[in-house]
Amino acid sequence: MKTIRVKKGYNPKVIGSPSTESLKAAQPTRLALVPEHIPFMKLRLKVRKGDRIALGSPLVEDKRNTNIQLLAPGSGRVADIRFGPRRVIQEIIIQLDENQKTVEFQSYSQKDIDKMSRDALVQTLVTGGVWPLIKELPFRDYARPDFVPPLLFVSLGSLEPFHPAPQVYLRGNEDLFNFGVSVLNKLAEGRVYVCSHRADTELASSLNGLVNLTYTGNYPAHDPGVLLYHVKSSPAENRSWFVDGQDVVSIARLLRNGVYPTERVVSLGGSGAPQPKHLITRMGAPLSVLADDQTENETWRYIQGGILTGCGALARSHLGFSESALNLLPEGNHKGELLGLFNPGYRKPSFSRAFLSAMNREELMMDCSMHGGERACIACGYCALVCPVDILPQFTYKAILAGEVEESLEHGLLDCVECALCSYVCPSKIELFETLKNAKAEFYKEKEQDH
Amino acid sequence: MNRIARFFESTRRHFEKGGKLEKLWPFYESIESVFFAPARVSQVAPNTRDNLDVKRYMMLVIVALLPHYAFGVYNVGYQSHLASGLGTNFWPVIWTGLKAVVPIVVVVYVVGFAWETLFAAIRKHEMSEGVLVTCALLPLTLPPTIPLWQAALGISFGLVIGKEIFGGTGRNFLNPALTGRAFLYFAYPAQNSGDAIWTVLSGARTAAVDAFSGATPLSIAAVTGPSGSIQTAFSDAGYSTAKLFFGLYPGSIGGTATFLSIAGAAFLIILGIANYRIILGCILGLLCSGLLLNLISAEGSAPYLSLNPLQHLIIGGSMFAFAYMATDPVSAAHMQGARWVFGFGIGALTVLIRVYNPAFPEGVGLAVLFMNLFAPLLDHIEIKFRLRKRIPNV
Repeated sequence: MKTIRVKKGYNPKVIGSPSTESLKAAQPTRLALVPEHIPFMKLRLKVRKGDRIALGSPLVEDKRNTNIQLLAPGSGRVADIRFGPRRVIQEIIIQLDENQKTVEFQSYSQKDIDKMSRDALVQTLVTGGVWPLIKELPFRDYARPDFVPPLLFVSLGSLEPFHPAPQVYLRGNEDLFNFGVSVLNKLAEGRVYVCSHRADTELASSLNGLVNLTYTGNYPAHDPGVLLYHVKSSPAENRSWFVDGQDVVSIARLLRNGVYPTERVVSLGGSGAPQPKHLITRMGAPLSVLADDQTENETWRYIQGGILTGCGALARSHLGFSESALNLLPEGNHKGELLGLFNPGYRKPSFSRAFLSAMNREELMMDCSMHGGERACIACGYCALVCPVDILPQFTYKAILAGEVEESLEHGLLDCVECALCSYVCPSKIELFETLKNAKAEFYKEKEQDH
Repeated sequence: MNRIARFFESTRRHFEKGGKLEKLWPFYESIESVFFAPARVSQVAPNTRDNLDVKRYMMLVIVALLPHYAFGVYNVGYQSHLASGLGTNFWPVIWTGLKAVVPIVVVVYVVGFAWETLFAAIRKHEMSEGVLVTCALLPLTLPPTIPLWQAALGISFGLVIGKEIFGGTGRNFLNPALTGRAFLYFAYPAQNSGDAIWTVLSGARTAAVDAFSGATPLSIAAVTGPSGSIQTAFSDAGYSTAKLFFGLYPGSIGGTATFLSIAGAAFLIILGIANYRIILGCILGLLCSGLLLNLISAEGSAPYLSLNPLQHLIIGGSMFAFAYMATDPVSAAHMQGARWVFGFGIGALTVLIRVYNPAFPEGVGLAVLFMNLFAPLLDHIEIKFRLRKRIPNV
């Protein structure tokens, strides 16, 4: 088995790692489809407020390819549609009915899948609403249905604090996962890498040799983009696909049961979570059923996704379309302590060695403070030290700001795995990650328009 | 703590928008943020940010420079008392040193802050902490006898021409402190070169006592003729290796203390502030070119050529410049490989300038400035090589 050793990157040690205990969350009375953070999709509503809908009926379609639809996570009445700035669809809220009506899809056995043509399989996944769970590198848009990927990565687990542990969401679902991987094997014509951390030997053995690529190293060594960067031997492989481990289970559920899969294992972590753990809930569940209201003096930031790449969310909002992590961090919106600048900093986490915390192995408190003002780049080079795909963010971002698209591409802009470490470590508090990510997205949109 | 917090709370409104002193907001902000880190949270991903900021980064350099100031004050007073024929008791020596050094530092900081505030106010951004380091570095390179107006002019030139006209800290390509130093050297040679400028005379004295020579090791090495020997000249002037290493001889205010520079370099390397590649590159370059000169020196050539390369390292301010000037991250090379070459160039040029250009007894400042000019080229070359290895992704 191949092992990828990632030398760069960084593991922020933060309090609030979820235990492997998993509880059933309270049954929600409403669910929402939250498409806001799915990149690049141009959505058209297919329902109106007040419509009655069944679980699995289409709510929105992508204007770029109307076959790609996002389906209702529950059956009931469309209670509200919330729009953000520029009429971005933020949430389609469904008030659940007592009797859940479901749209019936066909169910398949392993044999059916083996006999099926690849095209028919793609069609089944698209109609079943799970296609957007399959992503394509480097832009992380959903995969192009008419394209055969050079490689397909299935990632089990994440090194970013904090995401669901594969041990938890695979518990009892090993068969489904196996089935899901066979489906993906058909899609990628056998070129599938199932990736887990090398230390997770128990996980690998519970999957009977399914894991065929392991990694070691710091965050984001788990990321399919990082793995691809280390595995690839030619530019032809740049457009590889990837699927998260839990989404593989979802895909398998759709095909096995013929019902749109909405069950989700969500990790609840961060220093604001009273008992960091895993919760079994449904897609689009209100965050309030996952994390109780915080009563302490601190204001908490609800983060959907990991503490680095995740998005801040309102406490009254719902779980995003493909999100499976909720982390609570203190906002930290208050002034620092007197002369904190001169504090040796045994409890102040930092990538640098400028604090005594460099010798502290404990998990430490982190908040959302910027910890400093914005300055011009002083060329400390920390961003290049952490970048897992050897981009020189300090040079690349200057090329982007100067409008030199070609130069930034030459620097490997498209290899960027959007791990956000460059912004994290920057002492000048430059939004490197935001700049690189936007430049990448801009490039993609222009490219799409050309076609 | 409360009293300080209340002081800032009550004064802030004068500097905020609409206040009488709103134009001076960058100045106020820079002071307040030293006492209390500002309350500011991330607006875009990543949600959390590293605790390190530029303030801390620069502050650590100043911490490394403080021992040089302590040493500088003592050395200036000590040399002054020797030259004036006074006793060398500790406290009187410190007092003389303080009288000479403090005015220079105060003038440099006041003028430096004034320029920085002006540019920050016009550009409407916060003050960058680079000015704190520049203002801490410049006095340490100056002779203690420098007229205060020249110190003011030096920091002005260094900050404005060396940095601000290019956009401020982070956008300069020359080391601002050295730019100011070089400007003074060329503009006012009378007060910035020769042997007499390195010693402050106490009381009403206009000349040093006879027993005190005042010659610096660099000038002794430079003037020793082909028939002489530098080792003999050094021992005649009382310059033992230990004395050279500890730097207790006439020189710039704090730059002669090689032992402190080595300690400071180690401190900054351990904390990850200074890049070890640059410092080791400098030392390596200096030793190599020193050795090369040893090899080519023949019968009858200047004895400076055959000076032990290790002695090059401990005389003058070379180690000081290697530790604090060459490692300025902004004006140094940015790529790891280029940093080695950059450092090596500085070390090698230092020796060459010292030996072949007697007009500049201390070549290290010019060597750093010269290599500053080449840093972008070195980076460019390394990046080109590096990008060639990438599998293209377009």
